Amino acid sequence: MNLAFSAADLAFRDELLHFLQQHCPPEAQVTRDRIGTDDVDDNGVMVIPAWAKAWQATLFDHGWMIPSYPPHLGGRNATPTQTLLYLEALAQRGICRSVHFGGYAIVGPSLLEFGNAQQQALAPAAIRGDTVWCIGMSEPGAGSDLAALSTRAEDAGDHFVVTGQKVWTSYAMVASRCFCYVRTDKDAPKHRGISVLLIDLDSPGVEIRPLRHLTGQAEFAEVFFDAVKVPRENLIGELNGGWRITMGSLAHERGGLWVEGVASCLRAVDDIIAMVARLGLQGDSAVTTRVARLYSQARSLRAMGWKGFASFAQGSSAPEHSYMKVAISELQQTLYEFGMDLQGSGLAVTDPAIAQEAGRWQSAFQNALAATIGGGTSGNTTQRGCAAGARPAAWLRRYAWTFPSPTSNA
Amino acid sequence: MDFSLTDEQRMIQHTARTLLGRECPLDLVRAAWDNPALAQPLWRDHLQDWLGLAEQSTCDVSLFMEEYGRALAPGVYFPSLLATFAAEAVETTLSGSATVAVAGYDGFWTVNDEAIKHYVPCAAQVDDIVVVHGSQRQPRVAIVAGASVAVTPVDQMDRLRPQYQVHVAGIEPGSAISPQAWQRVVRRALVATSAELVGVGRHLLDSAVAYAKERQQFGRAIGSFQGLQWKLVDAALELERAASAVAWAAMCVDADTADADAAVHSAKLEAGTAARRCARTSLQVHGGIGYTWEHGLHFWLRRAYAGDAFMGSSDYHARRLAGLLFVA
Repeated sequence: MNLAFSAADLAFRDELLHFLQQHCPPEAQVTRDRIGTDDVDDNGVMVIPAWAKAWQATLFDHGWMIPSYPPHLGGRNATPTQTLLYLEALAQRGICRSVHFGGYAIVGPSLLEFGNAQQQALAPAAIRGDTVWCIGMSEPGAGSDLAALSTRAEDAGDHFVVTGQKVWTSYAMVASRCFCYVRTDKDAPKHRGISVLLIDLDSPGVEIRPLRHLTGQAEFAEVFFDAVKVPRENLIGELNGGWRITMGSLAHERGGLWVEGVASCLRAVDDIIAMVARLGLQGDSAVTTRVARLYSQARSLRAMGWKGFASFAQGSSAPEHSYMKVAISELQQTLYEFGMDLQGSGLAVTDPAIAQEAGRWQSAFQNALAATIGGGTSGNTTQRGCAAGARPAAWLRRYAWTFPSPTSNA
Repeated sequence: MDFSLTDEQRMIQHTARTLLGRECPLDLVRAAWDNPALAQPLWRDHLQDWLGLAEQSTCDVSLFMEEYGRALAPGVYFPSLLATFAAEAVETTLSGSATVAVAGYDGFWTVNDEAIKHYVPCAAQVDDIVVVHGSQRQPRVAIVAGASVAVTPVDQMDRLRPQYQVHVAGIEPGSAISPQAWQRVVRRALVATSAELVGVGRHLLDSAVAYAKERQQFGRAIGSFQGLQWKLVDAALELERAASAVAWAAMCVDADTADADAAVHSAKLEAGTAARRCARTSLQVHGGIGYTWEHGLHFWLRRAYAGDAFMGSSDYHARRLAGLLFVA
């Protein structure tokens, strides 16, 4: 047990900070308490701004996109500890790597893990952001219960014919391709009849309808497939072997998210302390004690993340990590709600001219409401069930989720 | 930052768990409730040797204390450990068991000159009493024989760690120590207490999970009901968070970082809150059987509350932490 970092790790961080100072555009330094973009067109539909495209490519070209990867995949063969330092340094400064995390965080790693040589060759562009991907998972009848999906792909020899509907598909309106989960055997048990197809979104029969969030903006969409022809070579992995890829995808999605979550909580606590002072409430012990408890929780969660990492890196199970998503997403909501509560009767006012910090707390709160739902409400409901020991296998699997594997220097 | 344990630390954890598992069964805990003297052999034959931990890192101490709390070991080891921290500050080696008398009427470990020291653990069972008096700016440490001062027992929830009022009017002044040296004693004592509370929580939670898996109602294990699972997981989450806060605080104390006080307040408040949560949850999961004297769960429940109160409750440490956060 030791607070210090090694000289090599500190040098790694210095090099990163130097890079950020030289290259990071101000737009990438979001203080909006969310992952994603506020860049939208006149209809409130998300667009990818030019700075974001250039920034992602710069990160890739300098080996700072996914540091644990080798240089040709946008990395520099960083160790797991260095990866955490990297994620923490970015998160503390509110810097986002990309405005569409699906491509670099899920599709790229999944292509590398499950694709053939030809498909693996698509990974660098997915990670660099040259190709924008969306991921077709949820459906109207398959949310947390993903394996219940019913979008079907009929085997027609040299191609598949896809018919069905996806929903809550992030980035579909800006993506060119979809990493899509489809049912290829409707008679098999539900986990065994699923495959993954790469679908070009400009194929005939694909229709995309942006779906407005509770926040009023549209970052995700409904995607309809009406007898869409997909070449057979676009099948990833084995036919009907898609469920394994799902679990892999979720692992990639979870990797390191806690670092960003904890940093956003700590930033929120700092900002709350400043707001309490601004509002002249430093003498109100009911307020300051509540702040202290939230500060304590956020600091302890950071310790919990690093502590779980240590167990995981030593090959033990890390119960800490299966709690991280639940704890962080709930703490975020509590913090932003507190930021609203401090504004008294103005707690629900979003008018930027009147609300504290131009309505930042109200907007952060609404965004944070997605955090206990995104990635499956299962994140916050089933994780509790698993942690109670009801299903040990799932419980173990979830340890791996929250963390970049110590041996994953692909 | 590296939370991984060294081989030696794993050994401390393993040895302590094995030793206490073997030498401190529930029967001993129960017996010591009625007669504290029955815990003497555990101290004399096994635990006294572990006072050497006081010379090691706070991390090492916390690993041991977590196991100690899990076993709910009765007797004078815990107050003797705290007394050793204090005696070290005046470069004195204690020869037997001891305790620390510092808190005034409010129960906080703020140095004061009150004539009666309150909430002193095991004062009637130990050989020596380390009295800390004077003021926060000029603390003094006097070590007196337990038999030389009047002690008054105070009835309280946790009789396995009986507390006393110690009458210190007119005792010798003892040696002056620096406020920094005293601060280190308090920090280490708080981490030790917090680690014990984490161990208490672990026992309460582990026993609840085991019972939920085994107890059948409506034709199935009660642990299969989601309502119960959620309660358990929420308690487990608080406990893991507390364990992390304690490990973090131990490292900060050892490295004497600028935020060590904040980390220590955080550790005590998280550990106290979590242990109490685990106590209530465990009792709820056990149902009627847990409410019986016979079952023994209540011994850990009592320690959860008494331990939270010792050296200032969670609320107190939250207020102290707020004081640090809102200092200009």
